[in-house]
Amino acid sequence: MSIKIKDLTVTFKNKVTAIDHADLEIPGGIFGLLGENGAGKTTLMRVLTTVLSPTGGTVTLDGIPYNEKNYGKIQKKIGYLPQEIDLYPNLSVQECLEYMGDLAGVPRRECGERIGYYLEKTSLQEHRGKKIKQLSGGMKRRVGLIQALLNEPEFLIIDEPTTGLDPEERIRIRNLLVDCSKDRTILFSTHVVEDLAATCDRLAVMKKGKFLYTGSLKDLQQQAKGHVWLCRVKEEAMARELEKGYRVSSKQYVENGLQVRLISRTPPRLAGAVPCEATLEDAYIYITNRESDSCRQ
Amino acid sequence: MKSGLNLRGEAASNLKYEFKICLSNYKIPFGVFFVVMLSLIRGVAYSFEIGIAMEPPMAILAAVFCADTYTREITSRRSQVQRLYPMKKRMGSIAERMMIQEIFLTLLAVMGYGLFFLFQRPRISAMGQDGLRSEAVQFLLYFAAMVITVSFWGILSNLLSCVMRNMWMGIGACVILWVITNSGVIGDRYFGVWNIFSYTFRDVENSGDFSWICGKLVCTCAGIAAMAVLPQVIEKRGC
Repeated sequence: MSIKIKDLTVTFKNKVTAIDHADLEIPGGIFGLLGENGAGKTTLMRVLTTVLSPTGGTVTLDGIPYNEKNYGKIQKKIGYLPQEIDLYPNLSVQECLEYMGDLAGVPRRECGERIGYYLEKTSLQEHRGKKIKQLSGGMKRRVGLIQALLNEPEFLIIDEPTTGLDPEERIRIRNLLVDCSKDRTILFSTHVVEDLAATCDRLAVMKKGKFLYTGSLKDLQQQAKGHVWLCRVKEEAMARELEKGYRVSSKQYVENGLQVRLISRTPPRLAGAVPCEATLEDAYIYITNRESDSCRQ
Repeated sequence: MKSGLNLRGEAASNLKYEFKICLSNYKIPFGVFFVVMLSLIRGVAYSFEIGIAMEPPMAILAAVFCADTYTREITSRRSQVQRLYPMKKRMGSIAERMMIQEIFLTLLAVMGYGLFFLFQRPRISAMGQDGLRSEAVQFLLYFAAMVITVSFWGILSNLLSCVMRNMWMGIGACVILWVITNSGVIGDRYFGVWNIFSYTFRDVENSGDFSWICGKLVCTCAGIAAMAVLPQVIEKRGC
Protein backbone atom coordinates (compact mmCIF):
# COMPACT_ATOMS: atom_id res chain seq x y z
CA MET A 1 0.00 0.00 0.00
CA SER A 2 1.46 3.34 -1.02
CA ILE A 3 0.01 6.81 -1.20
CA LYS A 4 1.26 9.27 -3.78
CA ILE A 5 0.62 12.99 -3.55
CA LYS A 6 1.53 15.21 -6.49
CA ASP A 7 1.36 19.00 -6.56
CA LEU A 8 -1.40 19.00 -3.93
CA THR A 9 -2.95 22.37 -3.15
CA VAL A 10 -5.76 23.17 -0.74
CA THR A 11 -7.02 26.73 -0.65
CA PHE A 12 -10.00 27.64 1.52
CA LYS A 13 -12.78 30.04 0.65
CA ASN A 14 -11.09 32.77 2.70
CA LYS A 15 -8.08 32.47 0.31
CA VAL A 16 -5.87 30.83 2.95
CA THR A 17 -3.64 28.19 1.36
CA ALA A 18 -3.31 25.32 3.82
CA ILE A 19 -1.32 23.05 1.47
CA ASP A 20 0.84 24.62 -1.18
CA HIS A 21 1.89 22.48 -4.18
CA ALA A 22 3.05 19.58 -2.02
CA ASP A 23 4.57 16.31 -3.25
CA LEU A 24 4.87 13.25 -1.04
CA GLU A 25 5.05 9.49 -1.23
CA ILE A 26 3.99 7.50 1.81
CA PRO A 27 5.33 3.93 1.82
CA GLY A 28 4.17 1.00 4.00
CA GLY A 29 4.81 1.00 7.76
CA ILE A 30 4.56 3.99 10.06
CA PHE A 31 5.16 7.32 8.40
CA GLY A 32 5.48 10.38 10.61
CA LEU A 33 4.11 13.80 9.84
CA LEU A 34 5.75 16.48 11.88
CA GLY A 35 4.98 20.17 11.97
CA GLU A 36 3.97 23.08 14.12
CA ASN A 37 0.31 23.96 14.74
CA GLY A 38 -1.21 25.34 11.56
CA ALA A 39 1.42 23.70 9.32
CA GLY A 40 -1.27 21.91 7.30
CA LYS A 41 -1.04 18.43 8.82
CA THR A 42 -4.71 18.13 9.69
CA THR A 43 -5.74 19.54 6.31
CA LEU A 44 -3.60 16.90 4.59
CA MET A 45 -5.24 14.21 6.69
CA ARG A 46 -8.68 15.54 5.87
CA VAL A 47 -7.82 15.30 2.18
CA LEU A 48 -6.55 11.75 2.61
CA THR A 49 -9.72 10.74 4.46
CA THR A 50 -11.84 12.26 1.65
CA VAL A 51 -13.38 14.78 4.05
CA LEU A 52 -11.89 17.61 2.02
CA SER A 53 -11.48 17.84 -1.75
CA PRO A 54 -8.20 19.37 -2.90
CA THR A 55 -8.17 22.56 -4.94
CA GLY A 56 -5.42 21.19 -7.18
CA GLY A 57 -3.05 18.29 -7.67
CA THR A 58 -3.58 14.55 -7.43
CA VAL A 59 -3.64 11.93 -4.72
CA THR A 60 -3.61 8.19 -5.37
CA LEU A 61 -4.00 5.31 -2.95
CA ASP A 62 -2.57 2.09 -4.33
CA GLY A 63 -3.02 3.57 -7.79
CA ILE A 64 -6.66 4.56 -7.19
CA PRO A 65 -7.03 8.29 -7.86
CA TYR A 66 -8.91 10.37 -5.30
CA ASN A 67 -12.10 11.54 -6.97
CA GLU A 68 -15.82 11.39 -6.15
CA LYS A 69 -16.23 8.27 -8.24
CA ASN A 70 -13.61 6.35 -6.26
CA TYR A 71 -14.38 7.72 -2.79
CA GLY A 72 -16.46 4.65 -1.87
CA LYS A 73 -13.59 2.29 -2.76
CA ILE A 74 -11.00 4.43 -0.99
CA GLN A 75 -13.07 4.94 2.17
CA LYS A 76 -13.28 1.17 2.69
CA LYS A 77 -9.48 1.00 2.87
CA ILE A 78 -9.11 3.77 5.44
CA GLY A 79 -9.30 3.96 9.22
CA TYR A 80 -9.20 7.39 10.83
CA LEU A 81 -8.71 8.76 14.32
CA PRO A 82 -9.19 12.54 14.31
CA GLN A 83 -7.29 14.82 16.66
CA GLU A 84 -10.18 15.42 19.04
CA ILE A 85 -13.09 13.07 18.86
CA ASP A 86 -15.81 12.71 21.47
CA LEU A 87 -17.11 9.18 21.28
CA TYR A 88 -20.66 8.42 22.40
CA PRO A 89 -20.58 9.38 26.11
CA ASN A 90 -23.70 7.43 27.11
CA LEU A 91 -22.58 4.15 25.56
CA SER A 92 -20.22 1.69 27.17
CA VAL A 93 -16.89 0.89 25.48
CA GLN A 94 -18.28 -2.37 24.10
CA GLU A 95 -21.53 -0.76 22.91
CA CYS A 96 -19.72 2.17 21.32
CA LEU A 97 -17.40 -0.12 19.36
CA GLU A 98 -20.23 -2.45 18.33
CA TYR A 99 -22.24 0.54 17.15
CA MET A 100 -19.39 2.12 15.20
CA GLY A 101 -18.38 -1.24 13.75
CA ASP A 102 -21.92 -1.79 12.53
CA LEU A 103 -22.02 1.68 10.95
CA ALA A 104 -18.71 0.92 9.26
CA GLY A 105 -20.37 -2.10 7.70
CA VAL A 106 -18.36 -4.75 9.55
CA PRO A 107 -20.41 -7.97 9.95
CA ARG A 108 -21.59 -8.39 13.55
CA ARG A 109 -19.69 -11.61 14.27
CA GLU A 110 -16.36 -10.41 12.87
CA CYS A 111 -16.88 -7.10 14.61
CA GLY A 112 -17.36 -8.85 17.97
CA GLU A 113 -14.20 -10.91 17.48
CA ARG A 114 -12.14 -7.87 16.49
CA ILE A 115 -13.46 -5.84 19.43
CA GLY A 116 -12.44 -8.62 21.81
CA TYR A 117 -9.01 -8.87 20.21
CA TYR A 118 -8.28 -5.16 20.25
CA LEU A 119 -9.70 -4.62 23.74
CA GLU A 120 -7.27 -7.19 25.01
CA LYS A 121 -4.41 -5.69 23.01
CA THR A 122 -5.14 -2.22 24.38
CA SER A 123 -5.65 -3.47 27.96
CA LEU A 124 -9.22 -2.25 27.96
CA GLN A 125 -10.82 -5.66 28.48
CA GLU A 126 -11.78 -4.93 32.08
CA HIS A 127 -13.19 -1.52 31.14
CA ARG A 128 -15.47 -2.77 28.34
CA GLY A 129 -18.58 -2.19 30.46
CA LYS A 130 -17.62 1.34 31.50
CA LYS A 131 -19.35 4.28 29.87
CA ILE A 132 -17.16 6.35 27.57
CA LYS A 133 -17.71 9.43 29.75
CA GLN A 134 -16.15 7.57 32.69
CA LEU A 135 -12.87 6.89 30.87
CA SER A 136 -9.63 8.85 31.18
CA GLY A 137 -8.24 10.77 28.20
CA GLY A 138 -5.77 8.01 27.36
CA MET A 139 -8.42 5.29 27.50
CA LYS A 140 -10.67 7.31 25.21
CA ARG A 141 -7.81 7.58 22.68
CA ARG A 142 -7.33 3.83 22.87
CA VAL A 143 -11.04 3.28 22.20
CA GLY A 144 -10.73 5.78 19.33
CA LEU A 145 -7.84 3.78 17.94
CA ILE A 146 -9.86 0.55 18.13
CA GLN A 147 -12.77 2.11 16.22
CA ALA A 148 -10.30 3.14 13.51
CA LEU A 149 -9.06 -0.45 13.27
CA LEU A 150 -12.43 -2.23 13.26
CA ASN A 151 -12.68 -2.43 9.47
CA GLU A 152 -9.07 -3.72 9.30
CA PRO A 153 -7.94 -0.74 7.18
CA GLU A 154 -4.97 -0.91 4.90
CA PHE A 155 -4.30 2.76 5.50
CA LEU A 156 -4.61 4.10 9.04
CA ILE A 157 -4.57 7.85 9.61
CA ILE A 158 -3.93 9.03 13.15
CA ASP A 159 -3.97 12.71 13.99
CA GLU A 160 -2.00 13.71 17.09
CA PRO A 161 -3.05 10.77 19.24
CA THR A 162 -0.64 11.51 22.07
CA THR A 163 -1.43 15.18 22.68
CA GLY A 164 -2.32 15.87 26.30
CA LEU A 165 -1.53 12.37 27.53
CA ASP A 166 0.73 11.41 30.42
CA PRO A 167 4.05 9.70 29.52
CA GLU A 168 2.80 6.19 30.30
CA GLU A 169 -0.26 6.57 28.06
CA ARG A 170 1.85 8.09 25.31
CA ILE A 171 4.21 5.14 25.35
CA ARG A 172 1.24 2.75 25.31
CA ILE A 173 -0.31 4.47 22.29
CA ARG A 174 3.02 4.51 20.48
CA ASN A 175 3.57 0.82 21.11
CA LEU A 176 0.07 0.06 19.92
CA LEU A 177 0.74 1.87 16.67
CA VAL A 178 3.88 -0.16 16.13
CA ASP A 179 1.94 -3.38 16.83
CA CYS A 180 -0.70 -2.36 14.30
CA SER A 181 1.77 -1.35 11.61
CA LYS A 182 2.30 -4.86 10.23
CA ASP A 183 0.84 -5.15 6.73
CA ARG A 184 -0.54 -1.65 6.70
CA THR A 185 0.44 1.96 6.20
CA ILE A 186 0.06 4.30 9.15
CA LEU A 187 0.24 8.05 8.79
CA PHE A 188 1.00 9.40 12.22
CA SER A 189 0.76 13.13 12.70
CA THR A 190 2.23 14.83 15.73
CA HIS A 191 4.20 17.79 16.94
CA VAL A 192 5.92 15.71 19.59
CA VAL A 193 9.30 14.75 18.15
CA GLU A 194 9.92 11.97 20.69
CA ASP A 195 6.84 10.12 19.51
CA LEU A 196 8.19 9.87 16.00
CA ALA A 197 11.64 8.83 17.15
CA ALA A 198 10.04 5.95 19.01
CA THR A 199 7.75 4.73 16.26
CA CYS A 200 8.84 5.40 12.72
CA ASP A 201 11.91 5.61 10.56
CA ARG A 202 10.53 7.82 7.82
CA LEU A 203 8.85 11.17 8.17
CA ALA A 204 7.91 14.42 6.50
CA VAL A 205 8.30 17.84 8.07
CA MET A 206 5.63 20.39 7.21
CA LYS A 207 5.60 24.13 7.53
CA LYS A 208 3.10 26.59 6.12
CA GLY A 209 1.61 23.99 3.81
CA LYS A 210 4.91 22.80 2.34
CA PHE A 211 7.11 19.79 2.95
CA LEU A 212 10.48 21.03 4.14
CA TYR A 213 11.89 17.55 4.49
CA THR A 214 10.95 14.02 3.49
CA GLY A 215 13.12 11.06 4.34
CA SER A 216 14.52 9.02 7.17
CA LEU A 217 14.95 10.22 10.74
CA LYS A 218 18.63 9.45 10.53
CA ASP A 219 19.11 11.68 7.49
CA LEU A 220 17.14 14.44 9.17
CA GLN A 221 19.48 14.31 12.12
CA GLN A 222 22.41 14.21 9.72
CA GLN A 223 21.28 17.47 8.12
CA ALA A 224 21.65 19.30 11.42
CA LYS A 225 25.11 17.87 12.02
CA GLY A 226 27.64 20.61 12.60
CA HIS A 227 24.95 23.19 13.29
CA VAL A 228 24.32 22.46 16.96
CA TRP A 229 26.51 24.02 19.62
CA LEU A 230 26.79 23.94 23.36
CA CYS A 231 27.94 26.94 25.34
CA ARG A 232 27.92 28.12 28.89
CA VAL A 233 26.90 31.59 30.07
CA LYS A 234 26.99 33.06 33.54
CA GLU A 235 23.64 34.84 33.74
CA GLU A 236 20.13 34.55 32.41
CA ALA A 237 20.47 37.99 30.78
CA MET A 238 23.32 36.68 28.63
CA ALA A 239 21.27 33.69 27.60
CA ARG A 240 18.44 36.02 26.59
CA GLU A 241 20.93 38.02 24.54
CA LEU A 242 21.95 34.80 22.78
CA GLU A 243 18.32 34.03 21.93
CA LYS A 244 18.18 37.23 19.90
CA GLY A 245 20.92 36.02 17.57
CA TYR A 246 20.47 32.24 17.52
CA ARG A 247 17.87 29.50 17.84
CA VAL A 248 18.11 28.12 21.34
CA SER A 249 16.79 24.57 21.57
CA SER A 250 17.36 24.22 25.31
CA LYS A 251 18.56 26.06 28.40
CA GLN A 252 19.60 24.37 31.57
CA TYR A 253 20.86 25.67 34.89
CA VAL A 254 24.20 24.07 35.76
CA GLU A 255 26.65 24.61 38.59
CA ASN A 256 28.15 27.93 37.53
CA GLY A 257 25.66 29.43 35.12
CA LEU A 258 23.46 28.22 32.28
CA GLN A 259 24.19 25.66 29.61
CA VAL A 260 22.64 26.75 26.31
CA ARG A 261 22.12 24.63 23.22
CA LEU A 262 22.32 26.72 20.07
CA ILE A 263 21.38 26.00 16.51
CA SER A 264 23.33 28.00 14.01
CA ARG A 265 24.30 27.50 10.37
CA THR A 266 27.68 29.11 11.03
CA PRO A 267 29.87 28.66 14.11
CA PRO A 268 28.65 31.09 16.77
CA ARG A 269 30.92 33.99 17.66
CA LEU A 270 31.15 32.91 21.26
CA ALA A 271 34.10 31.91 23.32
CA GLY A 272 33.75 28.34 24.55
CA ALA A 273 31.02 27.23 22.12
CA VAL A 274 31.60 23.59 21.19
CA PRO A 275 29.85 21.54 18.52
CA CYS A 276 27.68 18.71 19.78
CA GLU A 277 25.56 15.79 18.53
CA ALA A 278 22.22 16.90 17.03
CA THR A 279 19.05 15.41 18.46
CA LEU A 280 15.91 14.96 16.41
CA GLU A 281 14.43 18.00 18.07
CA ASP A 282 17.48 20.09 17.11
CA ALA A 283 17.19 18.81 13.56
CA TYR A 284 13.52 19.74 13.42
CA ILE A 285 14.25 23.27 14.63
CA TYR A 286 17.14 23.54 12.19
CA ILE A 287 15.05 22.38 9.22
CA THR A 288 12.00 24.51 10.00
CA ASN A 289 14.02 27.67 10.52
CA ARG A 290 16.75 27.13 7.95
CA GLU A 291 15.49 29.68 5.45
CA SER A 292 14.66 32.47 7.86
CA ASP A 293 17.94 31.96 9.72
CA SER A 294 20.03 32.12 6.57
CA CYS A 295 18.51 35.54 5.90
CA ARG A 296 19.12 36.62 9.50
CA GLN A 297 22.71 35.48 9.64
CA MET B 1 -34.80 -18.74 10.26
CA LYS B 2 -31.69 -18.36 12.35
CA SER B 3 -30.32 -15.56 10.19
CA GLY B 4 -33.70 -13.84 10.34
CA LEU B 5 -33.56 -13.93 14.12
CA ASN B 6 -30.00 -12.64 14.04
CA LEU B 7 -31.00 -9.73 11.83
CA ARG B 8 -33.88 -8.90 14.17
CA GLY B 9 -31.49 -9.06 17.12
CA GLU B 10 -28.99 -6.78 15.39
CA ALA B 11 -31.69 -4.24 14.54
CA ALA B 12 -32.97 -4.31 18.12
CA SER B 13 -29.52 -3.73 19.62
CA ASN B 14 -28.84 -0.91 17.18
CA LEU B 15 -32.13 0.70 18.18
CA LYS B 16 -31.08 0.36 21.81
CA TYR B 17 -27.84 2.22 21.07
CA GLU B 18 -29.63 4.86 19.02
CA PHE B 19 -32.08 5.31 21.90
CA LYS B 20 -29.21 5.93 24.32
CA ILE B 21 -27.59 8.36 21.89
CA CYS B 22 -30.58 10.47 20.88
CA LEU B 23 -32.69 10.39 24.03
CA SER B 24 -30.05 11.54 26.46
CA ASN B 25 -30.76 11.86 30.17
CA TYR B 26 -31.80 15.50 30.10
CA LYS B 27 -34.14 15.20 27.12
CA ILE B 28 -36.72 12.86 28.67
CA PRO B 29 -37.42 14.91 31.85
CA PHE B 30 -37.31 18.12 29.82
CA GLY B 31 -39.99 16.81 27.43
CA VAL B 32 -42.20 15.52 30.24
CA PHE B 33 -41.85 18.77 32.20
CA PHE B 34 -42.77 20.78 29.11
CA VAL B 35 -46.01 18.86 28.57
CA VAL B 36 -46.97 18.84 32.26
CA MET B 37 -46.46 22.60 32.50
CA LEU B 38 -48.37 23.17 29.27
CA SER B 39 -51.35 21.16 30.49
CA LEU B 40 -51.33 23.12 33.75
CA ILE B 41 -50.88 26.62 32.33
CA ARG B 42 -52.78 26.65 29.04
CA GLY B 43 -56.49 26.98 29.76
CA VAL B 44 -59.09 24.94 27.86
CA ALA B 45 -62.84 24.94 28.41
CA TYR B 46 -63.87 22.25 25.89
CA SER B 47 -62.16 19.02 24.99
CA PHE B 48 -61.96 20.03 21.31
CA GLU B 49 -59.67 22.89 22.33
CA ILE B 50 -56.95 20.53 23.52
CA GLY B 51 -55.66 20.01 19.98
CA ILE B 52 -55.43 23.78 19.48
CA ALA B 53 -53.58 24.10 22.79
CA MET B 54 -51.17 21.27 22.03
CA GLU B 55 -50.22 21.45 18.36
CA PRO B 56 -48.11 24.65 18.15
CA PRO B 57 -46.12 24.03 21.37
CA MET B 58 -45.52 20.40 20.37
CA ALA B 59 -44.22 21.63 17.01
CA ILE B 60 -41.66 23.81 18.78
CA LEU B 61 -40.76 20.98 21.14
CA ALA B 62 -40.21 18.66 18.15
CA ALA B 63 -37.99 21.25 16.44
CA VAL B 64 -35.84 21.69 19.55
CA PHE B 65 -35.76 17.95 20.24
CA CYS B 66 -34.65 16.80 16.82
CA ALA B 67 -32.30 19.66 15.87
CA ASP B 68 -29.25 17.77 17.16
CA THR B 69 -30.15 14.41 15.60
CA TYR B 70 -27.16 14.64 13.28
CA THR B 71 -25.41 17.88 14.30
CA ARG B 72 -24.25 16.12 17.47
CA GLU B 73 -21.99 14.11 15.15
CA ILE B 74 -20.52 17.31 13.75
CA THR B 75 -19.87 18.98 17.10
CA SER B 76 -18.25 15.83 18.49
CA ARG B 77 -16.16 15.42 15.28
CA ARG B 78 -17.48 11.89 14.90
CA SER B 79 -18.78 13.02 11.52
CA GLN B 80 -15.19 12.94 10.23
CA VAL B 81 -15.06 9.22 11.00
CA GLN B 82 -18.63 8.68 9.78
CA ARG B 83 -17.57 10.16 6.46
CA LEU B 84 -15.82 6.83 5.82
CA TYR B 85 -18.99 4.81 6.48
CA PRO B 86 -21.45 3.78 3.75
CA MET B 87 -24.12 6.45 3.22
CA LYS B 88 -26.88 3.84 3.52
CA LYS B 89 -25.75 2.99 7.06
CA ARG B 90 -25.46 6.65 8.03
CA MET B 91 -28.94 7.44 6.73
CA GLY B 92 -30.30 4.36 8.47
CA SER B 93 -28.88 5.62 11.74
CA ILE B 94 -30.44 9.07 11.27
CA ALA B 95 -33.80 7.52 10.34
CA GLU B 96 -33.73 5.34 13.46
CA ARG B 97 -32.91 8.30 15.68
CA MET B 98 -35.73 10.32 14.09
CA MET B 99 -38.14 7.45 14.59
CA ILE B 100 -37.24 7.04 18.28
CA GLN B 101 -37.62 10.75 18.95
CA GLU B 102 -40.89 11.01 17.00
CA ILE B 103 -42.36 8.08 18.94
CA PHE B 104 -41.33 9.70 22.21
CA LEU B 105 -42.84 13.03 21.15
CA THR B 106 -46.06 11.34 20.04
CA LEU B 107 -46.29 9.61 23.41
CA LEU B 108 -45.81 13.00 25.06
CA ALA B 109 -48.62 14.40 22.93
CA VAL B 110 -50.89 11.54 24.03
CA MET B 111 -49.85 12.07 27.64
CA GLY B 112 -50.56 15.79 27.28
CA TYR B 113 -54.07 15.07 26.01
CA GLY B 114 -54.76 12.97 29.09
CA LEU B 115 -53.21 15.55 31.42
CA PHE B 116 -55.50 18.27 30.07
CA PHE B 117 -58.44 16.08 31.02
CA LEU B 118 -56.89 15.37 34.41
CA PHE B 119 -55.95 18.91 35.39
CA GLN B 120 -58.56 21.02 33.64
CA ARG B 121 -61.57 18.71 33.28
CA PRO B 122 -62.79 20.26 30.01
CA ARG B 123 -66.42 19.92 28.92
CA ILE B 124 -67.12 17.22 26.41
CA SER B 125 -69.42 17.76 23.43
CA ALA B 126 -72.16 15.25 24.31
CA MET B 127 -73.05 12.78 27.05
CA GLY B 128 -73.60 9.04 26.86
CA GLN B 129 -72.52 6.59 24.18
CA ASP B 130 -72.56 9.23 21.40
CA GLY B 131 -70.43 11.57 23.45
CA LEU B 132 -67.90 8.83 24.13
CA ARG B 133 -67.76 7.91 20.45
CA SER B 134 -67.28 11.51 19.34
CA GLU B 135 -64.53 12.00 21.97
CA ALA B 136 -62.80 8.87 20.69
CA VAL B 137 -62.97 10.12 17.10
CA GLN B 138 -61.75 13.52 18.22
CA PHE B 139 -58.78 11.90 19.98
CA LEU B 140 -57.93 9.75 16.95
CA LEU B 141 -57.94 12.81 14.70
CA TYR B 142 -55.80 14.66 17.23
CA PHE B 143 -53.42 11.69 17.34
CA ALA B 144 -53.11 11.56 13.54
CA ALA B 145 -52.57 15.31 13.30
CA MET B 146 -49.92 15.24 16.06
CA VAL B 147 -48.02 12.35 14.47
CA ILE B 148 -47.74 14.38 11.27
CA THR B 149 -46.95 17.63 13.10
CA VAL B 150 -44.13 16.28 15.29
CA SER B 151 -42.70 14.27 12.39
CA PHE B 152 -42.69 17.27 10.07
CA TRP B 153 -41.12 19.69 12.55
CA GLY B 154 -38.57 17.14 13.69
CA ILE B 155 -37.48 16.30 10.16
CA LEU B 156 -37.42 19.96 9.12
CA SER B 157 -35.42 21.01 12.14
CA ASN B 158 -32.84 18.24 11.56
CA LEU B 159 -32.54 19.15 7.88
CA LEU B 160 -32.10 22.88 8.51
CA SER B 161 -29.59 22.21 11.28
CA CYS B 162 -27.58 19.99 8.91
CA VAL B 163 -27.73 22.59 6.14
CA MET B 164 -26.42 25.25 8.52
CA ARG B 165 -24.19 22.79 10.43
CA ASN B 166 -25.54 24.28 13.65
CA MET B 167 -28.54 23.13 15.68
CA TRP B 168 -29.29 26.61 17.04
CA MET B 169 -29.49 28.03 13.52
CA GLY B 170 -31.80 25.17 12.61
CA ILE B 171 -34.02 25.84 15.60
CA GLY B 172 -33.98 29.56 14.80
CA ALA B 173 -35.09 28.96 11.21
CA CYS B 174 -37.90 26.70 12.47
CA VAL B 175 -39.04 29.34 14.96
CA ILE B 176 -39.32 31.90 12.16
CA LEU B 177 -41.44 29.50 10.11
CA TRP B 178 -43.46 28.66 13.23
CA VAL B 179 -44.20 32.34 13.95
CA ILE B 180 -45.31 32.95 10.36
CA THR B 181 -47.49 29.88 9.97
CA ASN B 182 -48.91 29.95 13.48
CA SER B 183 -50.23 33.49 13.11
CA GLY B 184 -53.82 34.18 12.14
CA VAL B 185 -52.74 37.32 10.30
CA ILE B 186 -50.28 35.62 7.92
CA GLY B 187 -50.51 31.84 8.29
CA ASP B 188 -54.25 31.35 8.39
CA ARG B 189 -55.16 34.28 6.16
CA TYR B 190 -52.73 33.54 3.32
CA PHE B 191 -52.39 29.78 3.42
CA GLY B 192 -55.88 28.83 4.68
CA VAL B 193 -56.47 25.08 4.68
CA TRP B 194 -52.98 24.55 3.17
CA ASN B 195 -51.34 26.08 6.22
CA ILE B 196 -49.13 23.62 8.10
CA PHE B 197 -51.07 24.58 11.26
CA SER B 198 -54.44 23.98 9.57
CA TYR B 199 -55.46 21.64 12.41
CA THR B 200 -55.00 24.47 14.93
CA PHE B 201 -56.98 26.92 12.75
CA ARG B 202 -59.76 24.47 11.87
CA ASP B 203 -63.41 25.30 12.51
CA VAL B 204 -63.81 23.51 15.83
CA GLU B 205 -67.55 23.95 15.91
CA ASN B 206 -67.98 22.09 12.64
CA SER B 207 -66.92 18.52 13.42
CA GLY B 208 -67.59 17.47 9.84
CA ASP B 209 -64.99 19.84 8.44
CA PHE B 210 -61.91 17.89 7.42
CA SER B 211 -60.42 20.50 5.12
CA TRP B 212 -57.48 20.85 7.56
CA ILE B 213 -56.19 17.57 6.15
CA CYS B 214 -54.86 19.64 3.22
CA GLY B 215 -52.40 21.35 5.58
CA LYS B 216 -51.29 17.99 6.97
CA LEU B 217 -50.83 16.75 3.42
CA VAL B 218 -48.47 19.67 2.84
CA CYS B 219 -46.57 18.65 6.01
CA THR B 220 -46.35 15.03 4.84
CA CYS B 221 -45.10 15.94 1.36
CA ALA B 222 -42.61 18.47 2.74
CA GLY B 223 -41.39 15.92 5.29
CA ILE B 224 -40.85 13.28 2.61
CA ALA B 225 -39.03 15.82 0.43
CA ALA B 226 -36.84 16.82 3.39
CA MET B 227 -35.91 13.18 4.03
CA ALA B 228 -35.18 12.70 0.33
CA VAL B 229 -32.68 15.57 0.16
CA LEU B 230 -31.05 14.71 3.47
CA PRO B 231 -28.43 12.31 2.00
CA GLN B 232 -27.15 15.04 -0.33
CA VAL B 233 -27.07 17.53 2.53
CA ILE B 234 -25.18 15.06 4.75
CA GLU B 235 -22.75 14.33 1.92
CA LYS B 236 -22.03 18.02 1.31
CA ARG B 237 -22.45 19.56 4.76
CA GLY B 238 -22.24 16.63 7.13
CA CYS B 239 -18.55 16.75 8.03
